[in-house]
Amino acid sequence: MSDMDAMLTVPFRRLLADIAPPAAVRAAEGCRGVPPMWRDLVASGFLDALVPEDKGGAGLALHDVFALVAATGAVCLPVPFAETMTARALLAARGAALPEDAVVVLAPPSAIIPLAAAATHALVPKDDRIALVALGDVGPDPFGAGGGSVAADAPEVLAVPAGSIDLAVFAAGLTAAKMAGAMARLLEMSVRYANERVQFGRPLGKFQAIQQQLAVMAEQVVSAQVAARIGMAGAHFDPVRVAMAKTRTGEAAHQVVAIAHAVHGAIGVTEEYDLQLLTRRLKQWQLAFGSESYWAGRLGAVRRCAPVDTTADFIRLHLAEMVGAASGEAHARA
Amino acid sequence: MLALIDAFPETALPPEAEALRGEIKAFLAERLAGMSGRDRARTWTGFDRAFSRDLAERGWLGLTLPKEYGGGGRDAFARFVLVEELLAAGAPIAAHWIGDRQSGPLLLHYGTEAQRRKYLPAICRGEIVFCIGMSEPNAGSDLASVRTRAVRDGDGWRLNGSKIWTTYAHQSDAMIALVRTAGTPEDRHNGLSQFLIDLALPGITVRPIRLGTGESDFSEVHFDNVALPADALVGVEGNGWAQVNAELAFERSGPERMYSSLVLLDLWASTLDENADAADIELLGRLVARLGSLRAMSIAITGKLAAGESPLTEAALIKDLGTELEQAIPVGIVDAIGKRPDLACNANLMSTLAFLLQLNHVFSLRGGTREILRGMIARGLGLR
Ligand SMILES: Cc1cc2nc3c(=O)[nH]c(=O)nc-3n(C[C@H](O)[C@H](O)[C@H](O)COP(=O)(O)OP(=O)(O)OC[C@H]3O[C@@H](n4cnc5c(N)ncnc54)[C@H](O)[C@@H]3O)c2cc1C
Repeated sequence: MSDMDAMLTVPFRRLLADIAPPAAVRAAEGCRGVPPMWRDLVASGFLDALVPEDKGGAGLALHDVFALVAATGAVCLPVPFAETMTARALLAARGAALPEDAVVVLAPPSAIIPLAAAATHALVPKDDRIALVALGDVGPDPFGAGGGSVAADAPEVLAVPAGSIDLAVFAAGLTAAKMAGAMARLLEMSVRYANERVQFGRPLGKFQAIQQQLAVMAEQVVSAQVAARIGMAGAHFDPVRVAMAKTRTGEAAHQVVAIAHAVHGAIGVTEEYDLQLLTRRLKQWQLAFGSESYWAGRLGAVRRCAPVDTTADFIRLHLAEMVGAASGEAHARA
Repeated sequence: MLALIDAFPETALPPEAEALRGEIKAFLAERLAGMSGRDRARTWTGFDRAFSRDLAERGWLGLTLPKEYGGGGRDAFARFVLVEELLAAGAPIAAHWIGDRQSGPLLLHYGTEAQRRKYLPAICRGEIVFCIGMSEPNAGSDLASVRTRAVRDGDGWRLNGSKIWTTYAHQSDAMIALVRTAGTPEDRHNGLSQFLIDLALPGITVRPIRLGTGESDFSEVHFDNVALPADALVGVEGNGWAQVNAELAFERSGPERMYSSLVLLDLWASTLDENADAADIELLGRLVARLGSLRAMSIAITGKLAAGESPLTEAALIKDLGTELEQAIPVGIVDAIGKRPDLACNANLMSTLAFLLQLNHVFSLRGGTREILRGMIARGLGLR
């Protein structure tokens, strides 16, 4: 286990297990308002993970918190932790600060804004500024997972110059990480179920047809996870890396969700069983902040114009893993 | 937590390995100038002894073998960089490919000192071409059922049987074969051994097999009472199954399992201009995303090889995903080109595409089929 895992990821996962069990996730569905576990997250200090040290935060790089964001996806955390963490850092780097109890979603143009129903504010792009607006009614979420939309006339609380920030890149990068976490959990649940459920006198996992499906699922989960990790590599979000992350997680989610449900049979779609908590959100996340086709289009456009000899060069220069990259240094650059 | 999910830790190519890249690029740009797309698309199936010897002269064969045997003494990361450049450029590397990738490391690990001294320097000089003698007419996926048999005869062995689909056996000097030395096919993994067979020995016939495309990349090899010397045995008698699996980790894990269609992808990408169809740009993006994630996984496996591990399940996973992408590239591109019958297609692109479209089925057969690999992944998940 790395130091970062021991110091950060393990305690965070333990915290999530305590404060966001499936019952709490279910309780939050269909409600407008900040769920009670938010207080615990505020008290935990993790929300300032990305805020520079001289501004009172932990000064971690984006890369360091990938596992945290993925963990929130794996438990379907019903509050916008990753988004508020990112918003705090983004504003801190520009000399601004969120109101004390602000619970923030990122709201670039999107078919749906996940977790809007649990938020008090949203960051929205407005011309050449990024504005924090107060949220009122966010409307219904057809996925029943606490998503919604941000009214065009939501009152502005503060704003900072946008500079080169593309909020869609931030939001898609975080969403890809959550998707990776949720898909890994789906694989675990599916393998466990296949080993437990007996039909024809044998566990399902002994049937070759099931084995082959779960192998494909594992391939997609691993590939999506690696892409999502690269989407949060380095110190700051990068549009090319995020484009790969959201494309790959979006593509993978189709197959992963389909196989998870196929393996589970009818029990998987029931209210009492946790599988549907994950798969409904994966559908919502796939749609949010640009689907795989949207991001593939952006990625393809960059590749087409790139002055490189081969795609291997392009990947090496733009999409490689950045191990040990600038921990602690300026997420601020984002 | 399932171990397989975290089996591809973030791994970066070390600067010492990256430092090789510029020199290799420069060499390839000059040496391969003017080569057609179709010839480049053969990559690791393009056979050219002179080219392999040119690489050897630069110290680029046996890069990971110890210096005392004529190797480069470098790690698996350095070899990744070299191989990535060779594949991306479409260099014809088949003549040294098997020896460099698996026979050399196998002999280093399991061979006697005399075998190492005899063969490793020859591999590093590009003087000996190896082939892989695993498959037989009645033993494909079910490799443990091989029937070719070696029996003790004086100091040495007598070999009878046949191998098939042996890539470039008709151009090779030596084969490392998996054969039965005890028991029957019902004994499965027990009683198998590996032999290094000099293909010039009496009693060996090699017959190239013609493909539907008219080419011959692989052969059938018959052994009729072939007398093998005692030192033809590789490793330990009866340990063949374990050895062949270690060999397969090298055979399945490398970047050639994701880059076989890269030349085509780049050729096609270079034809897309600012008026390109949005769907084509999107296809390009999807393929790049898949390849980007695969490359990171491939480097993670390279890290495991560099650390001396034998990542069999990981290799199965990346080979299945990688060959799926290699197959998707020509399939996507033929549709992208064919949807515009009104536009002329450039001849170089067309012949490269046609070549890969006729060949891409084998990507998920050679080195172990999709179903077999998925079975291994399932075992890795704890399902079997
Ligand atoms: C281009 C090329 C190069 C090759 N080079 C070499 C070489 O150099 N050396 C060498 O030794 N071999 C080589 N091979 C052979 C290759 O390893 C075999 O083709 C492969 O292992 C499959 O064996 P098979 O062709 O006999 O097919 P079979 O084993 O007969 O399989 C046919 C189909 O049945 C499926 N199948 C088989 N068993 C099962 C099972 N238990 N469950 C589910 N499905 C199953 C397979 O997945 C496949 O889809 C090469 C093959 C090709 C195509």
